[in-house]
Amino acid sequence: MPELNEKRSSRLEPLQVPRRSFLSLAALGSFFGAVGMALAGALRLPGPAVLPGPVRRFKIGHPEQFAMGSETRMDEANFFVFRDEQGIYAISGVCTHLGCSVGRSPEGFACPCHGSRFADSGDVTRGPAPRALPWLEVGRAADGQLVVYAENEVPAGTRFRV
Amino acid sequence: MKDHSRKYRWLLLGTSLLTIGYLVAAAVRETFLAEWYGLQKQYRTLLESKATDDRGRAIARDFRVELKQVSIPQLKAVDRCVSCHNGIDDPRMTDVPVPHAVHPGEILKDHPVDRFGCTVCHQGQGPATTFEDAKAVDAYWDYPLLDRNLTQSSCLACHDVNKLPPQQIALVLEGGKLYQEKSCGSCHKLGGRGGALGPALDNEGAKTKHQLILTNLAPPHSTWNWQEAHFRDPGGIVAGSQMKNPALSEPQVLALTVYMLAQRQRDVPESYLAPDKLEEKVRRLHPQPLTGEQVYHQYCMACHGEGTYGRWDKTFRRFIPAIRGVSLQATADREYLKAQIANGRPGTQMPAWGKQAGGLLPEEVDALLDYIQPPEANRLVKTTLHAAVVPPRGEPKRGSELFTSYCSGCHGLAGHGGIAPEIANPVFQRAASDEFIVTTIRNGRRGTAMPSFQPQIAGARMLSDADLGDLLAFIRTLGGAHEGSLSARESDSYAASTKKGEAPR
Amino acid sequence: MGTASQPVAPRATREFLQNLLRLPQTLRDSWFRLGHAPESEREESQATFHNLFLHIHSVRVHVRSLAPSFTLGLGIISTASFLILCVTGVLLMVYYKPSTALAYDSMKDLHFVVFTGRFIRNIHRWSAHVMVAAVFLHMARVFYTGSYKKPREFNWLVGLSLLVLTLALSFTGYLLPYDQLAYWAITIGSNIANSPRELTDALGITQWFNPGGFQRRLLLGANFVGEDALIRFYILHVFVLPVALITFLGVHFWRIRKDGGLARPDGPMGGTAEWGGAMKNVFEPLATKTYGLMALVKGRRATVNRGPENTVMSWPHLFWAELAVFMLTVALTLILAFHFDAPLKELANPAVPENPAKAPWYFLGLQELVSYSAFMGGLIIPAIAWIGLAMIPFLDQKSGGEGTWFGTPGERRVALKSLFVGFAMVVGMLTFTVNYGWLRSWYPHIHQLWIIFINPGSILVLLYMAWSLWVLKRQNSVRLAAVALFTCFLIGFSVLTYFATVHRGPNWIFYWWPSQWPVH
Repeated sequence: MPELNEKRSSRLEPLQVPRRSFLSLAALGSFFGAVGMALAGALRLPGPAVLPGPVRRFKIGHPEQFAMGSETRMDEANFFVFRDEQGIYAISGVCTHLGCSVGRSPEGFACPCHGSRFADSGDVTRGPAPRALPWLEVGRAADGQLVVYAENEVPAGTRFRV
Repeated sequence: MKDHSRKYRWLLLGTSLLTIGYLVAAAVRETFLAEWYGLQKQYRTLLESKATDDRGRAIARDFRVELKQVSIPQLKAVDRCVSCHNGIDDPRMTDVPVPHAVHPGEILKDHPVDRFGCTVCHQGQGPATTFEDAKAVDAYWDYPLLDRNLTQSSCLACHDVNKLPPQQIALVLEGGKLYQEKSCGSCHKLGGRGGALGPALDNEGAKTKHQLILTNLAPPHSTWNWQEAHFRDPGGIVAGSQMKNPALSEPQVLALTVYMLAQRQRDVPESYLAPDKLEEKVRRLHPQPLTGEQVYHQYCMACHGEGTYGRWDKTFRRFIPAIRGVSLQATADREYLKAQIANGRPGTQMPAWGKQAGGLLPEEVDALLDYIQPPEANRLVKTTLHAAVVPPRGEPKRGSELFTSYCSGCHGLAGHGGIAPEIANPVFQRAASDEFIVTTIRNGRRGTAMPSFQPQIAGARMLSDADLGDLLAFIRTLGGAHEGSLSARESDSYAASTKKGEAPR
Repeated sequence: MGTASQPVAPRATREFLQNLLRLPQTLRDSWFRLGHAPESEREESQATFHNLFLHIHSVRVHVRSLAPSFTLGLGIISTASFLILCVTGVLLMVYYKPSTALAYDSMKDLHFVVFTGRFIRNIHRWSAHVMVAAVFLHMARVFYTGSYKKPREFNWLVGLSLLVLTLALSFTGYLLPYDQLAYWAITIGSNIANSPRELTDALGITQWFNPGGFQRRLLLGANFVGEDALIRFYILHVFVLPVALITFLGVHFWRIRKDGGLARPDGPMGGTAEWGGAMKNVFEPLATKTYGLMALVKGRRATVNRGPENTVMSWPHLFWAELAVFMLTVALTLILAFHFDAPLKELANPAVPENPAKAPWYFLGLQELVSYSAFMGGLIIPAIAWIGLAMIPFLDQKSGGEGTWFGTPGERRVALKSLFVGFAMVVGMLTFTVNYGWLRSWYPHIHQLWIIFINPGSILVLLYMAWSLWVLKRQNSVRLAAVALFTCFLIGFSVLTYFATVHRGPNWIFYWWPSQWPVH
């Protein structure tokens, strides 16, 4: 420090201080590293590790319970189950716009919130919805019952053959 | 120059690096060293090796290594057992080791894991994610994992015991039979019926280990371990217990333990109850009366045995009367006996058995009376007592002297009993007619230590009718202290004497 | 506009683009006034007082205040652990559900499945312990260095309020897991609030005047520990008490600054200090420095020809020190949290009492006193102790020895003596009580008033007071009497805490070691 201030002409000129040393930088770096890591760890906490409530995987009964050409609304789970000649399929009842529950209408499905309309296949026919109503995966549980995996989408037209 | 903060910078560097180290260690421990993490990785390879068709391949492909749980709000259960028991409902997992294996038996067919979870039958700490925590043997959790052979005790929470396949609940059924055979109901209440000497057992299976005396129990300190040890030797587990050793074989110990664990009053939502459980509840509200013999075997035998001979009980330190003895049958009238059963003998181990107390139905009391004293004997008694000539009550002071010399040896100086029954007992005093007392003194009780004091028989100690009158007068004064219910003094002395480990005299 | 016809658009566009490109630079400059690391002392001082969070510090700090052997960093440790508690507390609130049906389950979720949940809960628990310990030790440090003396009396009171708030925060947090420990500790705690009833009952006036019952109901919202109690404790724990504590903490810091920084000896200190690159003789500081001129001049006012004080710039020296001690606290709690899980017992069960039902360690000394009389031990003796502590700076007004450990003559000797005397008294009292019992064991039908007022706890307090008065007379010094009393208070508190932790077993019976406790 003395050499730093040697050239100082008067007391009015500010005293110079040394530049940061390696130790300072290392200490500061590790401090911010530790704090950053701690925050990153802490921010993991709000992300739920397990989702509360029952799994969104619904056993809907045996295939015999679904008559040919029938459509069934699963109110709790919010999807529709259809059966036609090619098999059984499920279409989500959650509007792809902002998540309201759609209802059946003569043309297909209608969303009460912002006026989106969907065809029987789930394709958007009108309104702000950005994409078609998703088809959900249908499968069979080990005990022979049909299972709808409400979290899993499948390409439209995919049917579960009985 | 002197650098005033150099040591602090070193300290900051050191502590920051230490912190980073510990944060990394904590992250690694939590993410990669978790038990379920390794097991799920194993399971994924199992799934891949089992994937023979499209569906199998799809299952293997979609399997994600993550915490899994079954959440059933109705049962207040969040069971994370499925985080390790991944193959529990996959029928292909028959030849793989636990925890990957499929659940044995057919039981998941009717009890899908999604709907019932695991802890509803197996107990244990459902929220836990390691096996040790889930077993919860020494953990802070009220209901640890039931041993495999104890699990059947859970069935009764939702099912009628009579409607289940007997082979599935063999131990429960065996235990129930033993409960009746060993006449446990003599001292314990179940469903409001039974004696009052021991604790009621309706919720015995829901007790936690903290509600039991563990001082003399060798670890592990599980409730079932306590029950088993207690059935082998009640006094060895609960110091000063009056419970008789039920003398059980080891399989019987297990059966009765399972039966005890099955006594759980759980608040299961109605949608989970089997329909027959509702019928069972209705049946409990309207019980079918038992026969006299059944009542006697379930509720009297533990103390009275066959009842044909009186005996001295070492634990109770009390004389237990021969209630089916020939001479009692021949002297006691029905009203007297009924009063004894309905009200018990306060201050002794004999509890009251009326509907509000021991829970016996009036029909059952009648049936029991018929069993103790057949109706024809009762008719005979009526005529005998009717014919008995009762001398007028005489001089109690003289009676007292007579009592001291002839009776006190067995009945105690104040009639509080010794090797013979307590005739100062208020219930006795109220129920016993003068005829009954006089006839008993005259004829004695065959099969017991009570001799006949009838003057006509030569060689016996003779008491004149006047003596009898004096004696009667004195005996009646004995009840004076007991007018009404048990007096405060009486109950105090009872408590005080039992505290010292002695039965009251 | 009149000049609308002129071709201004290209210039404005250029300006717009230039400004857009310089945006990162200007944004930074608007945030950090200096724009670069301070290169001179003037810039260092600006770094301090241009920053909202740093400007509570003075720009220069005395080297004594930086010395670890003087403060032991305890104030910073307390603050640091409080910060950790705030951060982890908010994180825990994400999952915690304050309802009797869900609270315990949410603890289990935190423990078993929430990412970092168990670790963060452990950190919360351990920094609570660290904070309580640090606050106690900080108080002892301030006392033994005489730092409460004029003009710092008020800050001593603020500090004592912070002690109460710290303990209250800890106590209210105790119920939240709603496990057995929580339930029974709060049952006991709320009945201590009810304990004035002992007195009103003994006097037979409860039906007209029942402050105990009122207090208890205020705390629990019911006659038992349940849903209402839980929500009340939750509100206190996460809102009322933290806000109060932060407020008091602000006042505490502000007063440190206003009272002239950390306490320092008053007299000439001599020696030399480095100034402008050369060693110069040091002049003594003025006792009541106000920093009115922001340290642009040294001293209370601009004084020509004054020599330097022995101070250094706060930036960076003080901030290195604070950062380091903060990180030390973090590392300490992290290590504890990594190796030792916070306890969580069975779900609260009113049918099965904990045996022994012990409070957290810092309340166990009180619990021992409560076992003699709830009213005296739980309310009156703590109140006496607190008021006694609060009165110290007002009774001991003679200056001297500030900012030095055991600064006045004879202090160290009196402290040491009091340590022995206080220790002997509390151990004697405990030995006597354990061996011979107390009034109720000798006279079973004695009136409750005797039990309340004449119990081992109050006798101990009287003995301590007597010892302190004796010191006052003998040494002819209020400060030394205060040292005697404070030392007795500390050793008494420590011994009682130790005794109740180790030697009290089920049914509050004396055992030599916990391993001898009967199994329950």
